[in-house]
Amino acid sequence: MAEVVLRDVCKRYGSYNAVDNVNLTIRDKEFLVLVGPSGCGKSTTLRMIAGLEDISDGTIAIGDETVNVLPPRDRDIAMVFQNYALYQHMTVYDNLAFGLRNRKVPEDTIKTEIDRAVDILGLRDLLKRKPRELSGGQQQRVALGRCIVRNAKVFLFDEPLSNLDAKLRAHMRLELKRLHRRVETTAVYVTHDQVEAMTLGDRVVVMNNSRIEQVGTPWEIYSRPRTRFVASFIGSPAMNFLDGKVKRNGSGYNIHAPGGAFHVSDESARGLVGQDGRGVTIGLRPEHIRLYESRADNALHGRVELTEQLGAEQLVEVEVEGARIMVSRVEAERELKPGTPVYLTVEPGQLRYFDPVTEQALA
Amino acid sequence: MSLASSAAPLPRRTGLFDLLRPGARAAFMILAVSAVLLLFLAPIIILVVTSLRPGWGVYYIHRGTEFTLANYVEVFQRGVVIEAFFNSFLVATAATILSLGVTVTSGYMLSRFKGWLPKTWFTSIYVFRTVPYISWVLPLYVVNESLGLYDTFFGILAAHVAVHVCFFSWIMKGFFDGIDPSMEYAAMIDGCTRWGAFRRVALPAAGPAIAALGILSWLWTWNEFLFALILTGNRTPLLTVTMAQFVTELGTEWNLMSAMAVMAMIPAVIITLFAQKYVIQGLRI
Repeated sequence: MAEVVLRDVCKRYGSYNAVDNVNLTIRDKEFLVLVGPSGCGKSTTLRMIAGLEDISDGTIAIGDETVNVLPPRDRDIAMVFQNYALYQHMTVYDNLAFGLRNRKVPEDTIKTEIDRAVDILGLRDLLKRKPRELSGGQQQRVALGRCIVRNAKVFLFDEPLSNLDAKLRAHMRLELKRLHRRVETTAVYVTHDQVEAMTLGDRVVVMNNSRIEQVGTPWEIYSRPRTRFVASFIGSPAMNFLDGKVKRNGSGYNIHAPGGAFHVSDESARGLVGQDGRGVTIGLRPEHIRLYESRADNALHGRVELTEQLGAEQLVEVEVEGARIMVSRVEAERELKPGTPVYLTVEPGQLRYFDPVTEQALA
Repeated sequence: MSLASSAAPLPRRTGLFDLLRPGARAAFMILAVSAVLLLFLAPIIILVVTSLRPGWGVYYIHRGTEFTLANYVEVFQRGVVIEAFFNSFLVATAATILSLGVTVTSGYMLSRFKGWLPKTWFTSIYVFRTVPYISWVLPLYVVNESLGLYDTFFGILAAHVAVHVCFFSWIMKGFFDGIDPSMEYAAMIDGCTRWGAFRRVALPAAGPAIAALGILSWLWTWNEFLFALILTGNRTPLLTVTMAQFVTELGTEWNLMSAMAVMAMIPAVIITLFAQKYVIQGLRI
């Protein structure tokens, strides 16, 4: 059980910065998720915490100890890899016991520890099997078991669910959450899947281009994205962006966008103070947009381009003066033919605004 | 496009083979397999039959009914043959063990590490590999002669180990490339050193490959003729060279040579059968 602190951590390969100045405190017993597109530096960050990559600059501390030069075996961590990394020539039992035997733990204690882990993960019948005789989900569970028996200070997860099929992934996601509640250890989890990030993380770190974009609870990240990148990366379908122009109008602002204009009051648009007469990027979440076939006020006018029937809802792509806007949560029963004229409205409080140049949120 | 047309089966490709009736197809397959089998088995059959014929019967082995084991007796009455078997076994085994030590570790290094050292090493064995095998033998002779290693075990052993290292480090690199390195990372986190991760996780995982390579090295040296011919003499007779000595001024004693060749096949066959399981596993990695 320990806090992990990263201070000004950098990783350079020649002149390329794979991780650039990362500052992060992972609290004791917290489940922290690093999420971002591939190549954003999240895995490298994790591997530096593990000690599998050298740190070019900065310090990493686990508990009270700076671990920069400590080899992985002395960091008291446990790690689950994307492809499970089970020892193929050993049985499940020996796989679980390997780390403890290396630490000269007596066989009796090893047996008790393995018993406990096996009960948590339901591996009882598989102990004598070799990894290649197990399914992907079972292998994943053994890899988790290897972590549990170790009682390490920190658990590290490197995209542990991405090799599983969609159904099993959803199932294992829940199991991981349950497991963390039971084992209560500091955990760092790397994924490129924003659903995993949102559902598993106590806090989520969004990374892009070797840097941290935002750190926060899943709700903060979703509702108050600090940059346009975070806004577009988190949420599915992704947020829509429109270029608009702000005009002061009475006790509020008019925002002129392609396809129409919105009027927003001062209190629902505090970010727009000082933006009078300037261009902004407007962010609209697909799930916040309401779609009408009859004329509506404060709405954007467009035409239906495509619909995707999901059964529980429809996704509708609307063309608004050249821009494409995705609308979700449209009732599945509605029949919307391509070309139908439609009106889109949003609660003013749910609009997000970004500086078109810096791409920072205006709030 | 209508649904029906999209669901229609793709037109089957029809070749000459598909035009035949099933019975004719089976017959065709049996013929083809037999032909291939004959191609590989015929030399061995001829060899075995020749070894069982008296000296005057070797040129028409398809005729006559005289068979004898006298050739084997005669061959083994020559002291040099026994010695050659023993020497070849020793050289092949020692060369295999010594070269495996190098090829396994160097293959691992080439697969896992970056930097100038692996790069230089890779380039040098690459260059050596591109040199035709036969053109090595003369320089090696000069070197062995000047170092006083001509016609010694060490001289021939060193030459073989050098060839093994150049030829087999590559293959070993390929095997290690096929083993997921995260297994070793897991071991390092589980309390192993870098070396420990190699020894306790990577090495066992590469076991079948190493066995396959071991057999390959062993057979190579056991069957090798050119180095043995040039680098060894009367003090260290080897199998292949001794066999060639049945070619004399008075003619070639095919029956004796065949008898020795059949005997020489036996250890190789036994070893291959014994380790076949590993070879196939090794090929699958």
